[in-house]
Amino acid sequence: MFFNRVKNAVIGAVSSGSELNGFGSESSNSGKQNQHHLAPKFPYGRPHFLHLEDDEVQMSADHKLRPIIHPSKSLPHHTGYAECVNAGKSKWNEDQAVYRQGVLSKVVTVENGNQTSAASQTFSIPYTYYGIFDGHAGVGAALCAANQLHHILHEKLVDAQDDIWADLSKNKKNGKSADSLLMGALESAFNEMDQLIAEDRNKYQAAGGCTALVALFILGKLYLANAGDSRAIICKNEEFLPISMDFTPENERDRIRKLADEQPALLGTNFTSREYTQQPRSDDLGKTIMYREAHMKGWAYKTLQPDDLKISVITGSGKRSRVMGTIGVTRGFGDHDLLAIYQKTPIKPFLSPHPEVQVHKIVSMDEKEVLVMGTDGLWDVLAGTKAAEIVSKSINTFMEKERYVSAATCLVGFARGTLANENQMWHLKGGKQASCDDISVFVIPLLPYKLEFEELMQKYFPDK
Amino acid sequence: MSYAYLFKYIIIGDTGVGKSCLLLQFTDKRFQPVHDLTIGVEFGARMITIDSKQIKLQIWDTAGQEAFRSITRSYYRGAAGALLVYDITRRETFNHLTTWLDDARQHSNSNMVIMLIGNKSDLESRREVKKEEGEAFAREHGLVFMETSAKTAANVEEAFINTAKEIYEKIQEGVFDINNEANGIKIGPQHSPTNPSLPGAGGSGGSQGSGCC
Repeated sequence: MFFNRVKNAVIGAVSSGSELNGFGSESSNSGKQNQHHLAPKFPYGRPHFLHLEDDEVQMSADHKLRPIIHPSKSLPHHTGYAECVNAGKSKWNEDQAVYRQGVLSKVVTVENGNQTSAASQTFSIPYTYYGIFDGHAGVGAALCAANQLHHILHEKLVDAQDDIWADLSKNKKNGKSADSLLMGALESAFNEMDQLIAEDRNKYQAAGGCTALVALFILGKLYLANAGDSRAIICKNEEFLPISMDFTPENERDRIRKLADEQPALLGTNFTSREYTQQPRSDDLGKTIMYREAHMKGWAYKTLQPDDLKISVITGSGKRSRVMGTIGVTRGFGDHDLLAIYQKTPIKPFLSPHPEVQVHKIVSMDEKEVLVMGTDGLWDVLAGTKAAEIVSKSINTFMEKERYVSAATCLVGFARGTLANENQMWHLKGGKQASCDDISVFVIPLLPYKLEFEELMQKYFPDK
Repeated sequence: MSYAYLFKYIIIGDTGVGKSCLLLQFTDKRFQPVHDLTIGVEFGARMITIDSKQIKLQIWDTAGQEAFRSITRSYYRGAAGALLVYDITRRETFNHLTTWLDDARQHSNSNMVIMLIGNKSDLESRREVKKEEGEAFAREHGLVFMETSAKTAANVEEAFINTAKEIYEKIQEGVFDINNEANGIKIGPQHSPTNPSLPGAGGSGGSQGSGCC
């Protein structure tokens, strides 16, 4: 019975032409075959903080009902979270989410006024970590990231804590700033996460790939690291501030074409770094065609040669843009064995685990200021203004305990829409097509992290 | 733990009528006097025995708040049973029953068993809705009726279990197609046939002349 439903779901996804990430099936598109005997590194499940039982995990993947799940126990500072599964494009929800609270502790010898005695004091810097990972071509990579990235990051933070502390207490000249150390910790952790998935390739089932959006709250600031097309905005009273950029083929055109131009061998025999306004066809040989090379900003004409019949490394625009006609996102983890759909050229060299890290100092005392992190399932059908409006409404309607969970639930509810009957598509209130993708959202109040930092400074540096 | 069937329930009704408290009393045998707002939907589960068969009840406790109505409405589909709850100490929650019932009938499958529940029967001194009124409403709309108290646990077991019995009988009569999960009924993992085209376990009668089971 269950398999029938899955089969129907798959047929539905293909017939509606909505293979949203542009992936073929894993087996046909992965460079490795016969991987079936390998076990997954982490078993499928929903985020640990949801505490779902096996039945509930099954139920959460009901493509016809798409229940919106939220935590039954409060997250730190009543942070909101909600998720729902896709409308049938994959059996399981390929998004994952995680939060962690950690502490950096350091024992410091403090000089007392008189030179003979010195006391030691332990300094503790708390941090909170939120991550969402949007998987594709399987659930493996997102599960690895949700289970491991925070451990890797913690090690990086511990490595840097002496220098962070030195910067905070201003007792070291020419040291690196805490900002640069925290950014570096995030950047290197992202890189190592991707390495780890690469090393696990032959030990575990094919992992596919995933995007990564991480918020690290530490020292009164938000360090927002993004590699992929999930998105974060800060909302306050129906206004919003984008604090991440989507890494799609379209937005990363320059980086990818430059790389292709520098290392043409990566393109194989079928792709080119050259761009055309229209994909050239063999019928057009000898005619003029508009083009630009990777190093050109503008466009020019040339006579169409046989070599021009290669496919541009980036095609399409917006949500439909692709690298090598295959993948619609350019940063994240995994995809080490991903090949171009028809040409079987490795794509990974053009993808990057490197995050863009934005630093946001929390200055507002407004408890209504929140960080909204969502996978593209949310943002595909919802603009920032609408998100801010929904968040603001929830915050003004409910008390602190419920307002952020309610905001997250309403955001997911809006994007998921409703299903009038089983033969139709999910639609939004106005009738437009709703999101068919997995949808995951965090709504995180910012003020508590500012207060936490002020308390810390008061405790350790009462004079400053 | 293995079960012969899983039945899916939803609990609906105005905010503050005690939906979550009924669920908590049924699953955890305790009462929580403080009203925690339910957001969207929350879940509960418990195993019961009917006709010496283990039946798992999976209960979707929905938010009564208007703000979540469009979200919760979508959960009616795929439920085998519904508890429609009002508060006997607040007449308006009784007056809204027609709206809830229309909503439920419109969005659920037609075989869904609906149990009408007048909750807070322990607050006799503050009663605004007579028991007879509840009974009359239930009779008129073809519902099963019961007054309960989530606080004292009076009739709580019965409300959930009687609904399950009704569903079970409908399965026996072949009214429910148990191979269609959209009916809110699932055959337990040990009992499900390896090939979906084979007849299911449970000794049910012919289902709607499909020739299956």
